[in-house]
Amino acid sequence: MKYIRLLSVTLLLALVACGQPAGNGEPVKIGLITPLTGEIAALGVDISHGAELKLAEMNAAGGIQGRLVQLVMEDGRCSGADAAAAIQKLINIDHVVAVHGAGCSSESLAAAPIAEAAGIVLMSPSSSNPDLTSAGDFFFRTYPSDDLKTTAMAQYFAQEGFKKVAILSEDTDFCQGVRMGLLQKLDEGAVVFDEVVDPNTKDFRSLLTRLKKLDFDVLVANPQTPPTGAAMLQQMREAGFQQLVISHDVMDNTVVLELASEAAEGFQVINVPTVASEAPFGQKFIAVYGEPQANMAWGAYGYDTLGVLAQAIEKAGTDGAAMRDYLYALDSYPAVVGDISFDENGDVLGIHYALREVQDGAFVQVADIAVE
Amino acid sequence: MVQLFINGLIAGSLGALVAGGLALVYGVLGVFNLALGQMALIGGYSTWWLHQSLHLPLSISILGGLLVGALLAWLTFEIFVNPFYRRHRFLPLVTTIALSMILDGAILLLFQERPRSIVPGLKKMVQMGDARISMEQVGLILITFVLLASFAYVLHSTAFGRKIRAVVQHEHAAWSLGIPAHILHRLIFILSGVLAACGGIFLGIDQNLTPIFAFPLTIKAYAAIIAGGKGNFWGAILCAYLIAFLEQFVVGIHWFGLFYVPAGYQQSVALVFIIFFLLFKPSGLFVRSARAA
Repeated sequence: MKYIRLLSVTLLLALVACGQPAGNGEPVKIGLITPLTGEIAALGVDISHGAELKLAEMNAAGGIQGRLVQLVMEDGRCSGADAAAAIQKLINIDHVVAVHGAGCSSESLAAAPIAEAAGIVLMSPSSSNPDLTSAGDFFFRTYPSDDLKTTAMAQYFAQEGFKKVAILSEDTDFCQGVRMGLLQKLDEGAVVFDEVVDPNTKDFRSLLTRLKKLDFDVLVANPQTPPTGAAMLQQMREAGFQQLVISHDVMDNTVVLELASEAAEGFQVINVPTVASEAPFGQKFIAVYGEPQANMAWGAYGYDTLGVLAQAIEKAGTDGAAMRDYLYALDSYPAVVGDISFDENGDVLGIHYALREVQDGAFVQVADIAVE
Repeated sequence: MVQLFINGLIAGSLGALVAGGLALVYGVLGVFNLALGQMALIGGYSTWWLHQSLHLPLSISILGGLLVGALLAWLTFEIFVNPFYRRHRFLPLVTTIALSMILDGAILLLFQERPRSIVPGLKKMVQMGDARISMEQVGLILITFVLLASFAYVLHSTAFGRKIRAVVQHEHAAWSLGIPAHILHRLIFILSGVLAACGGIFLGIDQNLTPIFAFPLTIKAYAAIIAGGKGNFWGAILCAYLIAFLEQFVVGIHWFGLFYVPAGYQQSVALVFIIFFLLFKPSGLFVRSARAA
């Protein structure tokens, strides 16, 4: 009996110890959720490298108010279920003060309500699904919504005189967001082909056979991951199509060039502008991690997102509500990707788009696209 | 139409290789090998590694990939199947699930997350009437056909094949007639690994290899062997082609001149069709009459 009482007292003490807020000497813990494995891992790896770069710089400069910063990384696997489990763990076990993430839109859509309920700021460097605009007061993103991207695409098609558009999408939250946006913004009857395939489908030949019978000006390749998109490109060119193929951020990725090689020639993407390898940030990144796995832009967004979060903690403290209010009121943060701030929904302001094209086996920026 | 038929042949050949490997092992040993998809991928990845990293000629790389497939299958048999399958035929189900997870991890460690293509870029396309097909695809379809046909020949028209069939029918009776059943088991398992590795190499040449592809590959092969009739090598292969054709035709045809089936239903329609057939012929599409107990 005595032992049991002793044991329960010890357990109680242990529980109390766990629940205590971190003292001043303890590091500030920030969680990070991004796909670190799976078909889109290259993006997640770049984002986490960017964040680690910022982390190293901050800690070298003395951390936040004398406290070191610690990143707790979780793999969201580009899936809502994994991201939900990850953010629960970060909030309830690691007691992080804010979360950097999530990477994929599916992850953020699942994680945002949990962050909201816990009153923890969740800030995504890469989720672009339009539904995230209304994902709650604690969700922010440094990456623009697809609502803007599809507007940019529709604007570009109008400018080029593309009247007949074919869309080939993968059935994921992100791709459906892009697809719905396009269907909304293009004129009625402009979309002549609109097919949605199961995630990770790699065989588009019969769909392309059907497309052969149609007359269209441009194909929007709307995949969730680069291998799927590369298969689309390759099979389309092999089937003899000459039309322009245009895609988005997912395909602005060196993996595509590697897999599709000459099939990618002339292929275009509308995406946020990348960060040049020669730019100071690119140089810093390459010195530590080498060439990015997917795109230098992801490294920059990972870096900036941690920067914004750290500034919010520095200025407003570790309380989630105070951080949230600080971020809404934020005037302007000088990020690598541009001077950014947030609107009343937590969506980023200050990022524009660029049109990039594959020329001689490399992405080249061909035009800026301003979206009002 | 011709193009749809060719598309079906390409997809079907891939399915038939894996399903053939699965059916062989299931037919002879009564063992389900759930790691077959991973074994296929490892064959494909090894070929990619030999060809793209060591810059060996494609033919030698493919041989290397097949060799790795054979070696892996042999090790699998010795470690994960042989010690267990005599005790209960469901035990290897568990051990091969474990193996599939180990192999998933090994693929990630050895070949990383990045997708790999054995022959990247555009293939040379040939115009055949309305249809287009690449030389690689013609080769893959023909090789699959020759491979499966020679298997069938060996199985049905040689003394060696007769021994295998004898072991399938009654292992102990075959033993007592002096047929070395244990060696044949090993051989069959290794052959199934080679067929699976062929499938992986096929995939790596025609599309690209990613670590998550193993499970869907196994599932489709299972659908084929169940629809084809348990333990029926021919049934499994025919059903693998059938599923592939169904998948291609379902989305490719303008049904009754009225509508197209949305691509999202591509896989489900084919499998629902199989289920429907099994309702009427529960023993499998290609089994003439079921022996009811």
